[in-house]
Amino acid sequence: MTDSEPILKIEHLTTRFHTDRGVVQAVDDVSLELFAGETLGIVGESGCGKTVTSKSVMRLLPTHLSSFGAESRIEYRGMNLLGLSENQMRDIRGNQIAMIFQEPMTALNPVFTVGWQLDEALKYHTSLNRRERFDRSLEMLRMVDMPNPTRRLKEYPHQLSGGMRQRVMIAIALCCEPDILIADEPTTALDVTIQAQILRLMNDLKKRIGTAIVLITHDLGVVAQICDRVAVMYAGRVVEMATVHDLFHRPQHPYTRALLDSIPINDATHHGQRLPAIEGIVPSLFELPQGCRFHDRCKFCEDECRQTEPDLETTGSQQSVRCHFPLSELRS
Amino acid sequence: MIKRIWKLRSTRKFFSNRLAVMALLIVAGYLAIALGTSVFGLVDLDATFARVGPKNVSGFFRVQEPEKQVEDVEYIFNRVDSALRRRDPKQALAEIQFGPQRLIDASPEEIKAIVERGWSYFDQLAESDDLNQDRAALPVIEQLKQTEQSLFAPLTSGQRWEQRINLVLGTDAQGRSIALRAIYSIEVAIKIGLVVAFFSVLIGSLLGTAAGFYGGWVDHAVTWAFTTFSSIPSLVLLVLLAYMFTGSTFEGTLFPMYIAFSATYWIGPCRVIRGETLKLRELEYVQAATALGYSRPYIVVRHILPNASHLMLINFSLLFIAAIKGEVILTYLGLGIKNGTSWGIMIEQSRPEVINGFFWQIGTATVLMFGLVLAFNILSDALQDAFDPKHV
Repeated sequence: MTDSEPILKIEHLTTRFHTDRGVVQAVDDVSLELFAGETLGIVGESGCGKTVTSKSVMRLLPTHLSSFGAESRIEYRGMNLLGLSENQMRDIRGNQIAMIFQEPMTALNPVFTVGWQLDEALKYHTSLNRRERFDRSLEMLRMVDMPNPTRRLKEYPHQLSGGMRQRVMIAIALCCEPDILIADEPTTALDVTIQAQILRLMNDLKKRIGTAIVLITHDLGVVAQICDRVAVMYAGRVVEMATVHDLFHRPQHPYTRALLDSIPINDATHHGQRLPAIEGIVPSLFELPQGCRFHDRCKFCEDECRQTEPDLETTGSQQSVRCHFPLSELRS
Repeated sequence: MIKRIWKLRSTRKFFSNRLAVMALLIVAGYLAIALGTSVFGLVDLDATFARVGPKNVSGFFRVQEPEKQVEDVEYIFNRVDSALRRRDPKQALAEIQFGPQRLIDASPEEIKAIVERGWSYFDQLAESDDLNQDRAALPVIEQLKQTEQSLFAPLTSGQRWEQRINLVLGTDAQGRSIALRAIYSIEVAIKIGLVVAFFSVLIGSLLGTAAGFYGGWVDHAVTWAFTTFSSIPSLVLLVLLAYMFTGSTFEGTLFPMYIAFSATYWIGPCRVIRGETLKLRELEYVQAATALGYSRPYIVVRHILPNASHLMLINFSLLFIAAIKGEVILTYLGLGIKNGTSWGIMIEQSRPEVINGFFWQIGTATVLMFGLVLAFNILSDALQDAFDPKHV
């Protein structure tokens, strides 16, 4: 996989917000690569920069409140997305890079039918005629396993359940066959059975259409189900990057380790025991601690961690970690 | 298409609301009358100025008090008398014709004889102390009235009907038909209501969505405009604008009112819709629309505006009513319509009548206005209940 060219390459992405209290770096020097047909997961707690990263790619952040660092580049097919004009960006959005959102309840326009909204996307991006657009809409609804698609086309979003709405969102996002689909916590608002169905669906579609997926989530269970590679983010930085197998079996960053430990396990030995949680909260972006950003919550903290911030270092064939004392070394 | 709308659940919901159907019928009635007067010429402006009878006749053909009856007859005899004294009696007599009533085709001498007979009855009446109390006076009054009637040619049945309709709500201080004036005023009111509400909502929602969605200097400019406008008492602004048109060709027409009301009433919808847009802009379906690559003007028109349409509808119905009331107030103050007919003019002219205890003119104008305002309010409320997709 590594020998082919990545289709999306984020290099040194720094996103700043200009707030009343000063400038905040919500995303700090993040570099990621996405290859065709793979699923990249981005995990982390709330407020660690996952969503800002994805919105930076789509250029959806308010322009008068945010800016990008001078070094930042988001490369898609040889173009730097950050340097494109709004008009050029509009051709890419929806057509080549699509996005689905967390809240299926509000992500569809309540005053138009499902069919109208699918039709709208097709009308905007393709030159199909009315008949073809209708057929394509129906085909898309069938593809996302919507029960009774002909009837659903005529229904309004409030007549659909949360899971069905998310299916419609996926259908709208995929109807122009984009190269990249950014899914921002697509299953957070759904209950677990629906969540599993949606994840299976996304996995199927990825294989069928060949779309690469960037999946943003705070749920490691979701990551384990469908991701190929994972980036763990903390306080605006990538702290660990690994294949999903490596991440779950050989986590090297104490934060990743702590996250994995906080997954509840249902068996006899753990019954009645307190669930391990990470002490403390994510530091405020206004008052980042000196040294490693995780040091005040880290169980393995040393003096060096308080002084200098570690770099992201490659430790395995596809694994890199931002820690002075990666865990495998500590344990050995 | 009509069949499809008829089958909608919302339509059925609307028609199961009895109050709403009643309001719909009333509003439709008003609209039909307005359409009838403006397009088919049911009542023209000249008809509202024509004398149809003696002054201040009560409506619904109520029997007048004896004193009033005598007064009316006396008025007519006086007119005939003074006409006869002039050189050209035929020409002068033509002046006293009331609507379909025409003087009989007789020589001045014959008319003079009838009038003489009439005056002798007046002498008899002068002996009774109180006309309202004295039973002996009643047959004399009857004879007096018959004498007066013999001055006029008998009415054909068509003319009789016309006269009945003209007098159904009585006459004002100048003997003009209150019914015709009130009906003609419906057209004026609905014209003002529709035009002002339409343009205010149009201006308000365009500026409001633009300000809310684009933010930045657009927002600053629009916010500045409506805060400045709303810091001036709207009546003062209306007075100013009404004065601006004095002397121009539009003076006294509806046009200055359209401008004056639209220039002040757009503030309400603008403020509300700007706020709604600020809310909608952050919603995920608007962000999703951006993520799908739609252009910003497209998002404003196809995604923001339809979701603010309930506010537009509410504001339309509020402003429709506000404009009708505004016209009445402005006209009452003498700044609105001049040389025309409207509810405002009717109320303004009924001021001396009310002091004398005659309520037919002010009553008719008020009841018709009340009916329209109430029915329109109920209708727009029921429409919103039935058709808002967010509350099904």
